[in-house]
Amino acid sequence: MEFKLTEEQELIRKNMREFCEKYVDPIAAEIDEKARFPQEVFEKLAASDWMGIPVPIQYGGAGSSYLTHIVAVEELSRSCAASGFTLSIHVGIVEMLILLFGTEEQKQKYLTPLARGEHLGAFVLTEPGAGTDVMAAQTQVTRDGDYYVINGTKTFTSNGPIAGVYIVFGWTDKSAGRKGMSAFIVPRGTPGMKVGEHFQKMGIRASQTSEMIFEDCRVPKENLLGKEGDGLAIAMAGLDHGRVGIAAQSVGILQAALDESIKYSKQRVQFGAPISRNQAISWMIADMATDLTAARFLTYYAAWLKDEGRPFSREAAMAKLFAAEAAMKHTIKAVQIQGGYGYCKGAKVERLMRDAKITEIYEGTSEAQRMVISGALLR
Amino acid sequence: MLHIVACCKWVIDEAYIRRGAGEEVDLSAVDWKISDYDRHALEEAVRLKESQGAKVTVLTVGDEKTAKGMKDMLSRGADEGCLVADKAFGDLDSATTADLMVSAIEKHLSPYDLILFGEGSSDLYARQVGPRVAAGLKIPCLTGVRRIAVGEGYVEAERSLEGEIELVRAPLPAALTVLPEINAPRIPGVKETLAASRKPVMHLKSSDLPALKAPSIRTVKIKAAQLKRDCLFLDNTPEGVRILVEELKKKGLNF
Repeated sequence: MEFKLTEEQELIRKNMREFCEKYVDPIAAEIDEKARFPQEVFEKLAASDWMGIPVPIQYGGAGSSYLTHIVAVEELSRSCAASGFTLSIHVGIVEMLILLFGTEEQKQKYLTPLARGEHLGAFVLTEPGAGTDVMAAQTQVTRDGDYYVINGTKTFTSNGPIAGVYIVFGWTDKSAGRKGMSAFIVPRGTPGMKVGEHFQKMGIRASQTSEMIFEDCRVPKENLLGKEGDGLAIAMAGLDHGRVGIAAQSVGILQAALDESIKYSKQRVQFGAPISRNQAISWMIADMATDLTAARFLTYYAAWLKDEGRPFSREAAMAKLFAAEAAMKHTIKAVQIQGGYGYCKGAKVERLMRDAKITEIYEGTSEAQRMVISGALLR
Repeated sequence: MLHIVACCKWVIDEAYIRRGAGEEVDLSAVDWKISDYDRHALEEAVRLKESQGAKVTVLTVGDEKTAKGMKDMLSRGADEGCLVADKAFGDLDSATTADLMVSAIEKHLSPYDLILFGEGSSDLYARQVGPRVAAGLKIPCLTGVRRIAVGEGYVEAERSLEGEIELVRAPLPAALTVLPEINAPRIPGVKETLAASRKPVMHLKSSDLPALKAPSIRTVKIKAAQLKRDCLFLDNTPEGVRILVEELKKKGLNF
């Protein structure tokens, strides 16, 4: 048993850290405040092959492992959780789904530009009435000769306003139940698909989120991902991969909270001594570091299982559940350590606390993760 | 085609150095990195390769830990590596390091056209190895370089001096030590990092090289510097100045 990354993975982590210090840290507060997508950062990430790490070289990727991608998401999230999340959705869900379920032609046409970072991908599943309850979706897809016609309204689509390729889910045969949903690759600019309302969020504000509206949106039959009826299985596979990414995002947030807490508590003097000398503070930091370590290893373990070709759905859920709840719990503590200063705009911990909350919600709430984990145990 | 040898030192990342008990320096949890100044030397070699074609060999001397450093160096655009690593090479003085480099270059990396160094290492900053290697190889040495242009059989360099810029020309082969202002080193991409393990590396051990001379300098002890801060508020008056002078004298400052 070896608890260590490869030398290459360690170097890749260091390079991402240096990238973040140079290009992300200086703008992280500004893009949060203005809810601005950092296009310039993603262009640089694309130029250095960060946008398709686990995708084979023949499809424009770097040909490395899923774990390497997870390390990159973690390190990017440490500086900007919104950017880390954007990278996670793009690679972990959209690219992995085309890689796993796409035809050779779909991989050439859609995966390659995604892996090169020419544009972003989006995963279009959630609907106003269908969050955790995916089966309550209303979006209908009908066959018309060589085309499929999509009608429906999706919501909370991450990367919705800015993506170049969308994976969209809808019913091709509602009566077939769990075998009735299908997935489609829809490129931006397809007539009938438009971006709806943009959402203003509490955290990860630089991530762009919107409704997506489909009105007689016609896609050629070649854009069916997998087979008709595979949609739900594809969505679940996407979420399994994505959850490891959200766990990594949470680990990055948690690491940042620990960094800030150590730095602040050693320099903040009250009653004539740094507050780090107070047990009330030092124990918060001990708990934070302990949960961080546990969350990181759970996350790497889930990614390692994926790279080994073994089932990882339950471990992905465990990693996401634990890391997200730890990130929320300890970012609240990180604000507490900084007191009034931590509650004000400009303190990094204030942003970390707002960013942490979403990790308990998207790509399956903590409650949904418990359903997945217990379902696997009590089957 | 030009053959450029870029020399890099694998050093302790100072961000990880902790103060131990008393005057001790705690190096138990340190990480390592390419000496900051040497990154500029390697970057310049790679830029010359990209602009006019060259083979870049990165050369490093150190103990076994340096093998990981070699991967980092190769991910920054060098074509090949020459790793002079042995557990006997952990704590060398500048003269010994230079001797090892001269042997490695003469025997294994010739012919060569340019040898690039950072102005000094980011751990000790003795600024010795570059000039000593040049002397050992009996080639010209240009220090404090902020711009390089290579012509047919010569190198032209701008040297940044105290109050002026000196433009100098030297025949090839030549050794140059470069300043950080010469360029902004790139951050390697993922593919470059992954490709580093597949590049050829020549590994030279103690037994492959002439015996080491006795070191001219021996490190006796490293003590942690102590930074004491004090705060005194004084009025902006002649009386305030008088108190300031008195306080500074009390702290041992002599005027």
